[in-house]
Amino acid sequence: MSTQDKVKINKLPTGVPGLDEIVGGGLPEFSFNIIAGAPGSGKTTLAHQFVFANATAERPALYFTVLGESAIKMLRYQQQYTFFDPAKLPDAIRFINLSQAVLEKDLGAVLEGIIKEVEKTNPAVVVVDSFRTMVRKPQSDMELQSFIQRLALFLASWQATTFLIGEYAEDELRDNPIFTVADGLFWLRQTPERNSIVRKLQIIKLRGQDSVPGLHTFRITDAGVQAFSRTFGLTGHLKDPPSHRRLCFGIPELDKMLGGGVREGDSVLVAGSSGTGKSVLATQFIAEGIRNGEPGIVAVFEERPQAYAERASTLGLDLETPQKDGKLTILYLRPLDLSVDETMHSILDAVQKIGAKRLVIDSLAGFEMALSPGFRADFRESLYRMIFALTGIGVTILSTVEVDESFTEFPFSTYSISFLTDDIVRLRYVSIDGQLRKIMVVIKMRGGNHAKDIREYEITNKGVVILGKRLTDYQGLISGIPVHSDGSGSKEEPSMDTGIGQST
Amino acid sequence: MKAAPEMRDLAHRLLTYEAGAGKSFEPMGSPTLCVYEKLRKSLCEFVGVAGFQSLATRALTLARSEVVSLSAARVTADGSIQGLGEIETQIDMDKDRAGDGGDILIARLLGLLRIFIGEALTLSLLRSAWPGEVFDDRNSENGRKA
Repeated sequence: MSTQDKVKINKLPTGVPGLDEIVGGGLPEFSFNIIAGAPGSGKTTLAHQFVFANATAERPALYFTVLGESAIKMLRYQQQYTFFDPAKLPDAIRFINLSQAVLEKDLGAVLEGIIKEVEKTNPAVVVVDSFRTMVRKPQSDMELQSFIQRLALFLASWQATTFLIGEYAEDELRDNPIFTVADGLFWLRQTPERNSIVRKLQIIKLRGQDSVPGLHTFRITDAGVQAFSRTFGLTGHLKDPPSHRRLCFGIPELDKMLGGGVREGDSVLVAGSSGTGKSVLATQFIAEGIRNGEPGIVAVFEERPQAYAERASTLGLDLETPQKDGKLTILYLRPLDLSVDETMHSILDAVQKIGAKRLVIDSLAGFEMALSPGFRADFRESLYRMIFALTGIGVTILSTVEVDESFTEFPFSTYSISFLTDDIVRLRYVSIDGQLRKIMVVIKMRGGNHAKDIREYEITNKGVVILGKRLTDYQGLISGIPVHSDGSGSKEEPSMDTGIGQST
Repeated sequence: MKAAPEMRDLAHRLLTYEAGAGKSFEPMGSPTLCVYEKLRKSLCEFVGVAGFQSLATRALTLARSEVVSLSAARVTADGSIQGLGEIETQIDMDKDRAGDGGDILIARLLGLLRIFIGEALTLSLLRSAWPGEVFDDRNSENGRKA
């Protein structure tokens, strides 16, 4: 059948930020859907958001309450959400209690009650909350199946998009006829992970259109349910063509080592042990971008934005003014129970808001710690998705990562993520002539040639400053314990490190 | 604690409207019963019979603390009220207390709704049973906002 011969299924906004993306652009009109999950998982709130997003006085929503949460208490709590618009009641949204019919009569009478109200109101949306309590009374399988079948047929014929809400356990999926009849099945879960609670949403079934598979995290805030798609809201976004532009650090010697800077859209990893200047380098990268008219975002996890900006000022870098001018956002992401998808949502929001070209994640260790324990297990996979998504829209990412200093190895990251990064700059301490000095080397650049030099650097009140020429007089520099080529001892006077920017 | 003045004002407006709306309340027996029945019908649909019955019983209990004669009234299982007509006749004979029993019972019921779902939703629910002008401040006796 050609495209023009196919019936067009309209997609209705779900009213839940992020969920339209997950369901493939919106909820199919006239679909018969189940929202299932344990008590407290957000089922009623999700249904309310859909109702408030779609109900009008001309095509209202009918919200049938049955046993369980009383309508008065439900409205008492639901009106606390920002999406709740009291002006929609009672013309656009009508609440009808069916508990008496359910308690005193059979399913046939319940169906008659629903039919009567639907025929009277001509609703665009029908919700039954909780459907589970409606069908809990003992009845034959055939009676139940017939009731569900007739209800689904009737509501679809009356051009209503329907949600049945129920407290179902996952092992009921197999035998319950309601799941067979349903066009859409939304499963909400909340699971404790050590001291954190993680909420996840799964579209188990959605007829008529592609939804994003998998478990999507969601959060319930004063704005209601907010879902975070595993595709980060970038479904359908074409990957930006590769750029040949180079982005500088503003450190001339380092930029030369990088062949003129990192390629736009690259993912750069700056790895080093504590105090080697990773954050200083990252701050200089962002500041240089702002100087060149490239807005930036810094995602910090270990310190507050104010402290980050104050530390930058000790290097002569002004991060306050660009923040006021909308050229820089320093995101402090709430620690302890984040999901990567939620973090990505915050970052993408900021990217879109200020048109950011550069992003610093400082640091990956802090990022990992801010995640709920369950998400830490998937950290590597999540980073892959995040980096792929962000670089795909042309953002250049610089991540800092702390590595344990070893005198037998030269690791690039504790996360085995070097394959995810285009460019790696490694910082490390070396013991030279009785001093603990710092060296820097560009390990890889996917986009072209780079210097192979090992360069010594210092952190001064101007930031990272690369000293002199490459170190040619020593063997085994990357071991951290080099040997002077001519075997001679120290020839230099003791020198003092300025100590600026040591917190990395 | 007495019924909130703004709820008394709102109750009074509903009662005044029913009293002035021709003879519509006559089959019921009084404006209070007429207002009560309209509330019952509207709220039973919304919260169910049991839900309304609970609210009405609580409202009656609260109202009794202000109008002792309401102790003879009772809310039945289907949420309707019995014994209010006789009490109102008795109250009417005492000119100082005229209409207080009905005002206060309705005010208490509305007050409970306001406590649970807030003023905006309470008024939304009432608007489905009464015309908008009833809630217009210009029609208020004392100009208080309901």
